[in-house]
Amino acid sequence: MAFYEQHIHDAPKTFLSKYIFSYDHKVIGKQFLWYGILFLGIGGLMALMIRWTLAFPGQAFPLIGNFLFPETGGVVPPDTYAMLFTMHGTIMIFYAITPILIGCFGNYLIPLMIGARDMAFPLLNMLSLHLAVLSAVLLMAGLFTPLGAAAGGWTSYPTLSTLIGSPGVGQTLWTLAIFVLGISSTMGAINYITTIITLRAPGMGYFDMPLSVWGLGLTAILNAIFLPVLGAGCLLLIFDRVFGTAFFLAGAAATTGTGDPVLFQHVFWIFGHPEVYILILPAWGIVSDLLSFFARKPAFGAKATALSMTTITILSTLVYGHHMYTTQMSPLLTQSFMTLTMTISIPSAIFFANWLGTIWKGSIRFHTPMLFSLGVVFVFGLGGLTGLYLATVTTDIYLHDTYFVVGHFHYTMAASVLLGGFAAIYFWMPKMFGVMLNEFWGKVHFWITMFGLNGVFMGMMVVGYAGMHRRLYNPFVYEFMERMIPINTFITWSAIIMGLSQIIFVVNFVYAVFFKKEKASTNPWEVGTLEWTIPSPAPHYNFKEIPIVKSGPHEYGNPKLTGDRDFQYQTEELV
Amino acid sequence: MGDNKMTKERMGRQVTSSIAMTVVLVAFSMLFASLFLGYTVFRVTSDVWPPMGFERVDLFLPMVSTLLIALSSVSFWKFQTVFIKNGHGKKQWFSLTVFLGLAFMASQVFLWRSLHAKGIYVQDGIFPSIIYSFTWVHAAHVVLAWIALFYLVPTLKAGLNIEDYENRVFNIGKFWHFLGIVWLIMFITMFLL
Repeated sequence: MAFYEQHIHDAPKTFLSKYIFSYDHKVIGKQFLWYGILFLGIGGLMALMIRWTLAFPGQAFPLIGNFLFPETGGVVPPDTYAMLFTMHGTIMIFYAITPILIGCFGNYLIPLMIGARDMAFPLLNMLSLHLAVLSAVLLMAGLFTPLGAAAGGWTSYPTLSTLIGSPGVGQTLWTLAIFVLGISSTMGAINYITTIITLRAPGMGYFDMPLSVWGLGLTAILNAIFLPVLGAGCLLLIFDRVFGTAFFLAGAAATTGTGDPVLFQHVFWIFGHPEVYILILPAWGIVSDLLSFFARKPAFGAKATALSMTTITILSTLVYGHHMYTTQMSPLLTQSFMTLTMTISIPSAIFFANWLGTIWKGSIRFHTPMLFSLGVVFVFGLGGLTGLYLATVTTDIYLHDTYFVVGHFHYTMAASVLLGGFAAIYFWMPKMFGVMLNEFWGKVHFWITMFGLNGVFMGMMVVGYAGMHRRLYNPFVYEFMERMIPINTFITWSAIIMGLSQIIFVVNFVYAVFFKKEKASTNPWEVGTLEWTIPSPAPHYNFKEIPIVKSGPHEYGNPKLTGDRDFQYQTEELV
Repeated sequence: MGDNKMTKERMGRQVTSSIAMTVVLVAFSMLFASLFLGYTVFRVTSDVWPPMGFERVDLFLPMVSTLLIALSSVSFWKFQTVFIKNGHGKKQWFSLTVFLGLAFMASQVFLWRSLHAKGIYVQDGIFPSIIYSFTWVHAAHVVLAWIALFYLVPTLKAGLNIEDYENRVFNIGKFWHFLGIVWLIMFITMFLL
């Protein structure tokens, strides 16, 4: 099937060609993983500062508060608070989740799972990483400018993000950073799409691909189509800020002319709604695979799952208006967007039922990756269901811009994707680094994270339902919210516990990568997809001989199996 | 040398390269489509166009630009045909394309200068914002494509192996024609209509 043969070149020898200018998709994937974990830490710390301010207003942030905010005696100042939630959102979405799920696992898994030796365009792949690093530098540079980094929210709506709302250089740097990151992700997407179409091993049809590859491929399609839309919006915003154009300035804000601030919201959400699926689709794919691998059963309705994900991908492009019900849209439009949004529940329900069908009566092995996958099933169910209240115009008018929204999108995007990412790290660790992570500490990490994040996000929904607005520095100036201080304190303690439990993961991970002597076997999880047919860690150029695919990825307990195992490699034929 | 047979490997690489280029062009189309979306919103919500007492941009320079970029597309197409047949005149058609690309950029600079001469600056409101920004974004892409043309210099050697260079000729060609089409749409929607 592969359209052409990828030739094997010599392994790189020098440090530069091995780690800095590496063309190898495996190395680039690992680099994205470290990049993502670093930013996960930075973004997480920012989240803790936000939570601390909400639970203990006026108290100094412990340990590092005095160092970071000496002029207020360690208390997070109001303008810094705005900067923190802006940078927290931006970093987590674009610099933590995107690199880990798409940058790392997209790069690492696609060639290995489809039986290719590398990406179709290794040079483009390397440039994508380098641009991502450049973008991170631009973003972080904003923190060191006189007026601080961007503070207009991760959505950076005008006029907050124009020169009137944020006069500092930070916002310009933010916009530039997102633009550069957009180019980087588009480069990745071009690579993923082309690789999946042209480099599948002989015999591998689209439905023989593991569902992870489906998720990653659909994500790449959305990336390639919709990141340029954000790019256009960012360009116009940069022009407004730097050259004095008037695209997003209106009324008294504009000295001349009639721009339109709401136009940016349209452009942003035309990109922004697909973006939430960009983030979640890889996690869905990975979880669909892992549930089957650890339930020792075929993925129930794998074809239907793949097609549901495709349907969601298509529908996700048509529903962006549900982010903008409160912008004086015509009722005809709001109702159309509401109907389209509700339609997404149908394919979602199909693949969700397929997940349950997969684990139904399975001989489940509760290893750490499976725990995290089951966690995704739980939190995504909750996140998806609360979305219905936000899709409905009548309830959204009340819930808009409250903590209910924050709770909802953290359940879907943060909790699901984070747990999915951890599942993937625990699962593919032996193939990536040649060692297993410690199972016991993995399980401890899972349970604390799971309880912590549910405490945080469930609590957010409760306070949001009670009317607490997002983005207020001190919401307790309002009388009706004073009674919410105890539950906010509870949320913050949950967040602190969840944050601290990540130290377990980091120690486990760093120890395994650098110090662990005991090597992992070729196929520790007894799984049949192509990457488990080669040694751990995956060797240079992956496959000496390009494998020939003869069966699907989830043949567990099939009565037609030939060996005495309960699974079958994809290179083996069924009876 | 000069062997021009179609093998399975060569076919595969051509298809791979054209799939990737299709994705690239879709991405760039979405960038420009978003700009046009913004333009449409401003245009249909404005009572009169051009708004705020601006006059239409004089058509002469945009027409010259249109002619130049159309001719450069033709000359690139001629270069590509000659290249595939391994014929003569590669250098002439290539140089003509490079020259026409340069001439297009010059015509854009003249357009901006003529607007400046009339006292129309980019910060004067939404109409000049659109005219300037869109031509800037397009021109920036033309500059990139023009620089990319020099990546084709190695293809000018006589008697080279066509298979090794064909995909870069096709891809840069597609991008070059794409920018021509974008300019044509800009010319019609922003200057003519």
